Amino acid sequence: MLLTEKESKSICDRLLRFTKADDAEVSVSSEDFSHLRFAANGFTTSGRRENATATVTVWIDKKRGSAAANDLENASLKMAVEQAEQLARISPVDREYVPTLGQQSYRLSRGYVEATVNISLSGRARAIDEIIRACEKEGVIGAGYHHASGTASGFATKHGLFHYQRSSLVSLSVTARTPDGASSGFFLRNHFDVGKLDTSRIGQEAIRKALDSKNPHTLEPGVYPVILEAQAADDLIRFGFDARSADEGRSPYSAPGGKTRLGERIFDERLSVYSDPWHPELPGPASAEDGLPAQKIYFVRGGVLATLRYSRYWAKEKGKDPTPGPVNTIVESSAPPVSVNEMIQSTERGLLVSRFWYIRGVDPRTALFTGLTRDGVWFIEKGKIQYPVRNFRFNQSILELLAPGNVEMIGASERVSGSETQGRGASLTPALKVKKFHFTSQSEAV
Amino acid sequence: MNPTRRDFLKTTSLVCGAAGLPTWVFEAEAATAAAVDKKQLADAAISRARKLGVTYADIRINRYRNESIATREERVQNVSRTQSFGFGVRVLFNGAWGFAASRIVTPESVRRVTAQAVEIALANSRYQRKPVEMTPAPRIEGNWTSAFEKDPFDVSIDDKIQFLLKLNETAMKTKGVSFVNSAVSFQNEQKFYASTDGSHIEQYLIRSHPSFTVTAVNRSAGDFQTRSSLAGPKGIGYEYLEKYPWLKEAGQAGEEVVAKLDARPVAPGRYDLVIHPSNLWLTIHESVGHSTELDRALLWEADFAGTSFLTPEKTGKLQFGSKICNFFADRTQPEGLATVGYDDEGVPAQRWYLVKDGVFLDWQTTRDLAPLVGHEQSYGCLHADSWGSVPFPRMPNVSLEPAKENLSLDQLVAGVDNGILIYGNGSWSIDQQRYNFQFGGQTFWEIKQGRVGVMLRDVAYQSRTTDFWNSCDGLGGQATYELNGAANDGKGEPTQVNAVSHGCPVARFRQVNILNTAVK
Repeated sequence: MLLTEKESKSICDRLLRFTKADDAEVSVSSEDFSHLRFAANGFTTSGRRENATATVTVWIDKKRGSAAANDLENASLKMAVEQAEQLARISPVDREYVPTLGQQSYRLSRGYVEATVNISLSGRARAIDEIIRACEKEGVIGAGYHHASGTASGFATKHGLFHYQRSSLVSLSVTARTPDGASSGFFLRNHFDVGKLDTSRIGQEAIRKALDSKNPHTLEPGVYPVILEAQAADDLIRFGFDARSADEGRSPYSAPGGKTRLGERIFDERLSVYSDPWHPELPGPASAEDGLPAQKIYFVRGGVLATLRYSRYWAKEKGKDPTPGPVNTIVESSAPPVSVNEMIQSTERGLLVSRFWYIRGVDPRTALFTGLTRDGVWFIEKGKIQYPVRNFRFNQSILELLAPGNVEMIGASERVSGSETQGRGASLTPALKVKKFHFTSQSEAV
Repeated sequence: MNPTRRDFLKTTSLVCGAAGLPTWVFEAEAATAAAVDKKQLADAAISRARKLGVTYADIRINRYRNESIATREERVQNVSRTQSFGFGVRVLFNGAWGFAASRIVTPESVRRVTAQAVEIALANSRYQRKPVEMTPAPRIEGNWTSAFEKDPFDVSIDDKIQFLLKLNETAMKTKGVSFVNSAVSFQNEQKFYASTDGSHIEQYLIRSHPSFTVTAVNRSAGDFQTRSSLAGPKGIGYEYLEKYPWLKEAGQAGEEVVAKLDARPVAPGRYDLVIHPSNLWLTIHESVGHSTELDRALLWEADFAGTSFLTPEKTGKLQFGSKICNFFADRTQPEGLATVGYDDEGVPAQRWYLVKDGVFLDWQTTRDLAPLVGHEQSYGCLHADSWGSVPFPRMPNVSLEPAKENLSLDQLVAGVDNGILIYGNGSWSIDQQRYNFQFGGQTFWEIKQGRVGVMLRDVAYQSRTTDFWNSCDGLGGQATYELNGAANDGKGEPTQVNAVSHGCPVARFRQVNILNTAVK
């Protein structure tokens, strides 16, 4: 069972009462999580977990210590406080200490639906069975992962702040493979409201992609015009807008001469990147770092790097205001959205990419990443998909990808979740058509 | 050494003074754990599960302790201790698995959660197409403790902080070093397992993980480079911080990171490579460790981690690598992160060959995987990263045997006309069937006419697993063998982490594709 606001406040109050430290922040989070996995057209593992964790961080003479425990009885809470205090006493002064916040005013976001947390076990089993039946009917082998969870968090400080919020999440990913192992398809969606997760569609999309990927051709790696479906764009595009690393000269947003690239047009002028805790499709937490009330913030506006994220410490050092976010990521175009079909029709020669996989940073100076295509790449010629092709490895800078002059078309932003996050996160990201994308080798993997 | 629970509680409370923490905290922690009668709780779970008609059930009652300290330059950024205690019950009912877990460790909670696990299995069994079968396991009554000299949880926090600050100071001595981040973390797992097989097993594991990254920034040019520690986590105690030459390596890292700023950009092309164990362990992990997981080959991980280019019909036939390549799996390996007494379904730790004389020979298995390839016993690869996680197949320590001859790094380099010597693991990526990979590193050195020359930068090697291992024509001897590893290898849905080690000697590879990773 998730902790109620009253229960959470009671635990936070006790933690604060137990500590004699000069300053403290405490939190308690509880989680109900359940999942069902399937593979090779059969159920594999399924389980349920209930947990809660109390965390306490204290400062004594500006020295910091932190401890956590998952037993919420008084004896255990006292033990955690005592441990944190002892760690603080024997630690050097925390030079990055900033006093905790007093009470703040929050505008709550709507990201919790009771039915999502209390999902029916039998209903889920039936829904997954229907997907497996659809796979069997189409002669493909299905695998996937369904999970549902709720979390409740209470956060409080010695200076009088208390904040409580709940969130819910349900997610389903499906992978379909042809029995010869030569083609595959994948589809993933999540939502905070179980009523808005279309499990049947997710299964059908994965099956369709697998069938559309049959008999792939081999194409030479190289630089291609590419259409990235929203899933692929979300998989690849990672933003780190940290001000401190930029100021320290170790970020793609650092500039020669000890400066940053703030105010510079780094992306296509139609693109904006922002965080909005109250977006109806992607509600984020109402509180950001250390309990700061989250706000809508533009990091990139009209292609220009508008804001970097200042932590409370770094803001104090630099005489800036701390940044109340990001709490989510929304990538949006100012131009009318272009559908993927329109992008295909406008392409003389290029590739359509469904998703990426195993994406890792290679060069932080240019935000260069490597990774591979997976579960669907198709060759386009004369405005039509001609045939599926085998997978590629890429080495691609995100700055180059989104740079002015490289982005041709932008789709409508849709709620997608990164392939490597298993549906735990989400963003609003559009499909993109870009002029140049660097594929550096082939992969025979399916 | 197999201490009883009472022994280790006694040990823990004896050393409290040294830890700088109040005795009562340790005693209270230990008392909490001791107050739980695990056998009684296990009986409650097993009898309830039997009554509900299961064919198999197990319960794991586990306590996890973590301690971590993070610093940068002369600053301590965080000191924290956490602990997590709870239990998980796994049942096999009507041929389907069910699992449930809770942090509330009481007989009532155990009975309730056991019924939940059966309820989940029941809901799923209605749609189960093929019932799960398991190989048998021996009935075990045992205790096991990992090998360590000094329990890190008994060492003063101040000692650990001073270790990190001294390391930072040493790295910063070189002119041109801009930043250093360092951290140390320690894990302790106190695991109890009981099952319908009649087994009762207690295990106590310790792992230690120091690390650092040194950064040099050329602000006028807008350039920066990093150099991270070459040594990784190990399944040993605090003695790791005392015996490994950390300060020497920090000093060397400071010099090397500054040199990297002016190193020569590599010209892309094909080169012979001599790869140090501090880099090669990760290539073994990704290309050998994961490809020989049987659950992947049987499509169980198709939705996330992926499958494998290895399939059951290739067993005993595929030339995985050159004839000098012998890869073994080993859950008994000294200092190994995945070294245990027993896995999470009561199977004793073992050592076996995965690749022998270059030929792919065998798989990593669990009790429900083994029957699917005709094995009568599991190799003991079941693992869960928490009491609240469903145990599933995880990688044992997987290592490459050194050459029988006593070949040195210099001797391998001497056989290279135009090549690159690589140290330390950097960026890594591999496809979902473990064919195509690309790895970076920490430092790269040109090899010309058998001698190590100038430093290179922006290097990554890219190859295909079987091409790469078949191009291996030289292995160092035992003197070059080192054990490295990963503390948080991710796999599964939901993702679980696994700590796993990989040992290997220095090795030489012919004509591998090299990329220059700098954007022009």
